[in-house]
Amino acid sequence: MLSIALMGFAGFAALCLAMEKHFSDLLGRKPGRGQLRSLRLAGWLLLLVSLVLSVHQRGWAHGLVEWVAVLMAGVTLWVFGLPYQPRLLLGLAALSLVLGPLLAVFAG
Amino acid sequence: MKEGFRQAMAWLHTWTGLIFGWLLFAIFLSGTLSYFKEEISHWAQPEVRSHALDPLASLGLAQRYLEANAGHSASWMIRLPSEREAALSVGWRDPEGGRRGFVRKSLDAQSGQPVEARDSRGGDFFYRFHFELQMPYPWGRWLSTFCAFIMLLGLVTGIITHKKIFKEFFTFRPGKGQRSWLDGHNAIGVLVLPFHLMISYSSLVLFMYMVMPAGILASYGGNTNGYFNDLFGRDEVPKVANVATPLVPLERLYAKVQEQVPGARIGFIQVQNPGDLNARVTFTQSAADHVAYKRSASWTFDGATGALLKQGAPESAAMMTSFSFAGLHMGNYAGPWLRWLYFVFGVAGTAVIGTGLVMWLGKRQLKHAKSERIPGELRLVEVLNIASMGGLLLAVAAFFWANRLLPVGLEGRADWEINSFFLLWALSLLHAVLRPGRRAWGEQLGLGALAFALLPLLNALTTGQGLDHSLAVGDWAMAGFDLTALGTGVFLAWAAAKMLRAPKPVAKRTPRATKATVEGVEVNGC
Amino acid sequence: MKRTAAGLPLSYRLAVISRSLAALLGGYLLASMVSVCVALLAPMPQVDATLTGLLLSFVFYLLAFIWCFACRSAWRAWLGVLLPSLVLAMVNGLAYWMKNP
Repeated sequence: MLSIALMGFAGFAALCLAMEKHFSDLLGRKPGRGQLRSLRLAGWLLLLVSLVLSVHQRGWAHGLVEWVAVLMAGVTLWVFGLPYQPRLLLGLAALSLVLGPLLAVFAG
Repeated sequence: MKEGFRQAMAWLHTWTGLIFGWLLFAIFLSGTLSYFKEEISHWAQPEVRSHALDPLASLGLAQRYLEANAGHSASWMIRLPSEREAALSVGWRDPEGGRRGFVRKSLDAQSGQPVEARDSRGGDFFYRFHFELQMPYPWGRWLSTFCAFIMLLGLVTGIITHKKIFKEFFTFRPGKGQRSWLDGHNAIGVLVLPFHLMISYSSLVLFMYMVMPAGILASYGGNTNGYFNDLFGRDEVPKVANVATPLVPLERLYAKVQEQVPGARIGFIQVQNPGDLNARVTFTQSAADHVAYKRSASWTFDGATGALLKQGAPESAAMMTSFSFAGLHMGNYAGPWLRWLYFVFGVAGTAVIGTGLVMWLGKRQLKHAKSERIPGELRLVEVLNIASMGGLLLAVAAFFWANRLLPVGLEGRADWEINSFFLLWALSLLHAVLRPGRRAWGEQLGLGALAFALLPLLNALTTGQGLDHSLAVGDWAMAGFDLTALGTGVFLAWAAAKMLRAPKPVAKRTPRATKATVEGVEVNGC
Repeated sequence: MKRTAAGLPLSYRLAVISRSLAALLGGYLLASMVSVCVALLAPMPQVDATLTGLLLSFVFYLLAFIWCFACRSAWRAWLGVLLPSLVLAMVNGLAYWMKNP
């Protein structure tokens, strides 16, 4: 479940950065052409993969419920942490992006 | 008309939120606590010892106890110890004994003897209060269910009103006064929305048979029992044959269930007509094993021969839907980390309501910032806000303090713990009336901070099962309670400090704050 | 809905009370009629139809509430809940009579 939580977290981070206002606030520059679109795509893809993985690991009932639960937890952490520790959260998101799929493949 | 619609929904959201907010705060807080009701009960009755789980042994002990003490009864109930519940519970129907004709006893899982523990309702007090509100049956259930509907209405009207729900999905701007409160309210509302919607709608499902009987009456006429029999797949229990026949050892039946579903945890066992030829034993799988309640996860045996008579009928789609909502609400299936998430989301729901109440007042107080006295209606809201939130937290702490301080042998001490809860709540209301708003908040939150933070110390001094002991022996329920109490104390101390510090000067902020609130709420002058 | 110096006019307060009653009582009536309709007419086993009727009833109570406060007048609020309730009541009556001749 940790891998799913991490991928979900990274997914929401990507969707957040896919919004121009948050992109410029967090990364300190204007987004390049197509960057927002790629982030949006990556975000949704991560969320979808985390869902498929969760259901695959835990079945439809537990899988669906746990997926929603960890996603809600992750995005809440992101939104409330962002004003206070943006760099830390960006770092965590990057870490999650790498660790999530790794854990899923090797430990899931 | 679009603007008018949103405005109307904002008006509805604001006013139903206010009128029912105080009660909903209490319902949400007690519900949140209920997710750990077994752990709270464990803390409240430290005399009940946990032992390694041995369902077969426990079953044998329960059967022997019941045969010795409830041989005359027509109906027995057994609840095996679990990871979260240390005691072995037995009960039996006795028209002359117990509450509502049913006697309950907690047995030590190792010795089979009744547990000698201090009389306390423990976590069950918060659980019952959550949906009965300490009101006589059935009024509390009606009121709490109606509140659940208002919560659902609040969520839907909130969604309709929140024009920038997608644009501001990731937005939280602290340190900006009313704007921050609104951001926070919206954020914990939207980010945890699946939980809030599920909790509110499922509350309605749990009591829908009671509050919306028209469909049942129209379809089943006077035979409402027929509806429940159809729903739960119950068969008629055969009448007593009055032929004494020893009850088959229940361990044997337990083994048969394990053959059907290896690894199944058993929730409870019901025995009808024990000691008779027509005895029936029903094993129901633990709610911890499935998200949805499963009527199919039950096995009925002939109590005299031990033959498997039937398994629960499979559920239809409609049943799975309704039973899933029930299961999701109760959260019995949740393991440790998911249970903590339930708790966190419950706190989030409580905070949605709390921030709403604070904002309702705050926005209107801004208008009267220059004048000496605030109008009566606003003062009433202020007092109710303080008492229903700060006061309620104090009352919860009082319950636990009473649990540790009241003499163990005191007659009716369980009721006195509850009385302490309501007494403190009432006193907090009085305090809120007598003190100016901000000070009242600060004082109640400050007292609450002390009360919660000192609980672990109180526990250690009065029972010797403080953190030094519980952490050492791995009693996570006991340690978890103490640590959560400590954390709550720290949070309340921070909140109290904010309240007791002099407020930032309002004058310079007013033009910007008013503009921000107008933008934020999209409604003028309501 | 601006406050006047002397407080809110009586007509406004009465309208709010009226809408509230329409929502609370009329909405409940509508929700009940819907649940009866589904219970009697849904093409499922009796228990499932009843169950589905119960599950759906709250959605309509919610919609009724929203209607009662979104529509242009208190009269429309009452009309909006009572008229469908009446129609459903007639349908229900017919369905009931056909099931229990």
